[in-house]
Amino acid sequence: METVIGIRGPDFVMLAADCVQASSIVVMKSDHNKIHKIADKIAMATIGDAGDSNQFTEFISKNLALYKMRNGYELSPKAAAHFTRRNLADYLRSRTPYQVNMFLGGFDDKEGPELHFIDYLANAKSLPFGAQGYGGYFSASILDRYYHDKLTEAESYEILKKCVAEIQKRLIVNLKNFNVVVIDKNGIKNLEPITSVKLDAAIAAAQGAQGVRAH
Amino acid sequence: MQAELARELPPAGFNFENCKRNEALINGGFLAPKTVKTGTTIAGIIFKDGVILGADTRATEGPIVSDKNCSKIHYLAPNMYCCGAGTAADTEMTTDLVSSQLALHRLNTGREVPVVCATTLLKQKLFRYQGNISAALVLGGVDLTGPTIYSIAPHGSVDKLPYTSMGSGSLAAMSVFESRYKPDMTEEEAKKLVRDAIAGGVFNDLGSGSNIDLCVIRKNKTVDYLRNYEIANRKGERTLDYSFLKGTTIVTGTKTFNLDITETVIPMEVA
Amino acid sequence: MSILAYNGGCVVAMRGKDCVAIATDHRFGVQAQTIDTDFEKVHQVAPKMFLGLVGLQTDILTVRERLAFRKKLYEIRENREMTPKVFSSMLSNFLYERRFGPYFIEPVIAGLDPKTSEPFICNMDLIGCPNVPDDFVVAGTCGEQLYGMCETLWKPDLEPDQLFEVISQSMINAFDRDAISGWGASVYIIEKDKITVKKLKTRMD
Repeated sequence: METVIGIRGPDFVMLAADCVQASSIVVMKSDHNKIHKIADKIAMATIGDAGDSNQFTEFISKNLALYKMRNGYELSPKAAAHFTRRNLADYLRSRTPYQVNMFLGGFDDKEGPELHFIDYLANAKSLPFGAQGYGGYFSASILDRYYHDKLTEAESYEILKKCVAEIQKRLIVNLKNFNVVVIDKNGIKNLEPITSVKLDAAIAAAQGAQGVRAH
Repeated sequence: MQAELARELPPAGFNFENCKRNEALINGGFLAPKTVKTGTTIAGIIFKDGVILGADTRATEGPIVSDKNCSKIHYLAPNMYCCGAGTAADTEMTTDLVSSQLALHRLNTGREVPVVCATTLLKQKLFRYQGNISAALVLGGVDLTGPTIYSIAPHGSVDKLPYTSMGSGSLAAMSVFESRYKPDMTEEEAKKLVRDAIAGGVFNDLGSGSNIDLCVIRKNKTVDYLRNYEIANRKGERTLDYSFLKGTTIVTGTKTFNLDITETVIPMEVA
Repeated sequence: MSILAYNGGCVVAMRGKDCVAIATDHRFGVQAQTIDTDFEKVHQVAPKMFLGLVGLQTDILTVRERLAFRKKLYEIRENREMTPKVFSSMLSNFLYERRFGPYFIEPVIAGLDPKTSEPFICNMDLIGCPNVPDDFVVAGTCGEQLYGMCETLWKPDLEPDQLFEVISQSMINAFDRDAISGWGASVYIIEKDKITVKKLKTRMD
C-alpha cells in the first residue's frame, strides 16, 4: 500500500516516500519517516514489511559506516547499491528473507547523482526515475510525461507534487503526507513535506485567483 | 593465496542454496519453469557379433522442439555407450560423471571395465537420488562375458535383456522388436531392425523426431558411431529466397571496436 | 505466470560465415509494469565472447557476477584466455550444480574461438543442458516467436551485413508479438578483427 518515488536530475537525486505506518487496516501513524540517511551522501527510501525495512536499512547503514572506519573512505553510491543488492539476494536464500523494496539515491563526487531501484527479489537497476508500491501505478505515467535531462530541483519537486496529488486523488488508500529528500554535492537535505493540506490550499488559492467559485 | 581467492568455490556435488527461495516463489503462485526433456525413443539389441544402440535426435521444452539434432548416445568407455531419455541435463551429466569414474577405474586397474560395473555405478547413483534425477538409460557394451544390454529406470532398477527400448517412443520401438527380433542376427539385419524401431518412434511419437543415430559395438572391440545414420526428416527447401536489402533495419547508433590481432609466443613457465 | 517471465526480455544468437551475431531487447519490467528501457541482457565476457542471460533479473545479476569470478580465477590459474567452449561447459556445470534449486535464467553464449576464430553459439535450459547447433539459438519470453522467425530467415554462410539484417528482423518481428519484451534492441556482430554494436529503432509499446 505504500509508495516511494525517485527522480535523478543532472546534479541531484530526489526521493519521496509516504509517511503512513499501518497495521492491518489501521493507520497507526501518519508522520513516519521512510527515507533513511545511510551515508554522508546516500539515502535509502524503503517500503515493505515495517520491521524488515527498519532492520535492513539499519544493517546496511551500519555496514557502510564500518567500511568507512576500516578503509578510511566511503563506499560510492553504486558500490553501496551493489552491496545492498547482494545482501538482499543472500538473505532471500535464507530462512529469513527481507520483504523490502527501495530506492537508493546518492551523490558521487566523480560520477554524479545515482538512483538505484532494488526490490525484494533483489532485482536491481540504475534508473533516471521510478516509483514503487501502489502509488507507482499512478506516478509512472506522470514521471514519463514530465521528466527531462535538464531537470532542476524546483521542477523535480513540482513533478513529485503532481504525483502525490494524483495518488491522493485516485488511490483508495489514504496517503496524506510525503517526506521529500534531496541529495546533491552538499549532502542530504530534507525538503518541505508534500501534504494533502498544502496541496488543497494551493488548489483553492489557484481557483480563487482565477475567480472560480469553490464549494 | 589462491586458496584465499577461491573461497567462493563450493564443495563438489549439488548445491541447495536456492531451494527455500524457489519454494517460496512457487507457493506465491508462480509456475515452475520447464526443463529440456528428451521425450525420446532409444533402443538397444544384441546381435551375433555385438550390440547396436539407436536413438532419435529431438529435444523438447514442453511442446517446443528446442534441438532438432541433439545426440543422445553418450560415450561411457571404449567398449560401452549409453542412450539417455528423460531430463536432458540429467542424462548428459549422469553419463558424463560415470564416464569419468570408469576412466579412473580403467587407469587404476589397468584393464577393460566390465559393463556390469557401469550399470552398478549408474543404478546406485540413480537409486540414491530416489528418482529425482530423471534419467532413463539403455546401456550397451561388450566385455569378457560377451555383448550385453541393460535398461536402467530413473529409480535405479535394472533389466538385463536381449533387446529393449526406453523413452516416450519406447512402445512404438518395442512393437517392432516384438514382431521381428530373433537371436543371432547379422549386423545388417540388426541395423535395419534398430533403424526401423527408432523410425517407429520418430513417426508415431510426438516427443521423438528428426534423425536416427546408431552405434554398433562389436565383440572384436571395434565401434561404429553412426551419427545421423539416417536423415529421416529434411527441412523443406525454399525455391526462392528471402533476403533483406542492406539497410532494411533502421539503426539509431553504431559503434565499431577494432581488434588488433597480434600473435606473440609466450614461452611456457618452467619452474 | 512463470518465474522466468517475471521481468520479461529475450536474446537470440546466430552463426554466419566466420562471424556470429547476438541480439537483446532493452526492457526491464516487474510483471506488466515497465520500469526501465535500457536493460541490456547481453554482456561482453571476453574480447570475442558475449553472454546473454534472460529470466529473473536478480538471478541474471547474481549469475553474471559469479561467472565473472570463476572465469577470472581460471585465467589466473591457467594463464590463458577462456574459449567459448570452455566457458559454456563451466556455465553448464555451474547451473547443473543447482539442479534441485535452480537459478531462473536461460543463457545464450556467442563468440569466436580466440585462436582459431571458429564461430560458436550455444544455449541452455535453466539447469544447464547445453545445445550447440550450427544455425541459431534463442531464449526468453518470446522464444517461440523467435524460433519461427529464425527458422524462416536464417540460412547458412551469411556475411556480417546480411547476418545483421536477419537477426535484427527476426528479433524485432518476434518481440512485436510479445507484450513483455522489446522497447529497443541492440545487436552485436562479432568478426575476427572487429566488433560492431548497433542500436535498433523499434516500436515503444
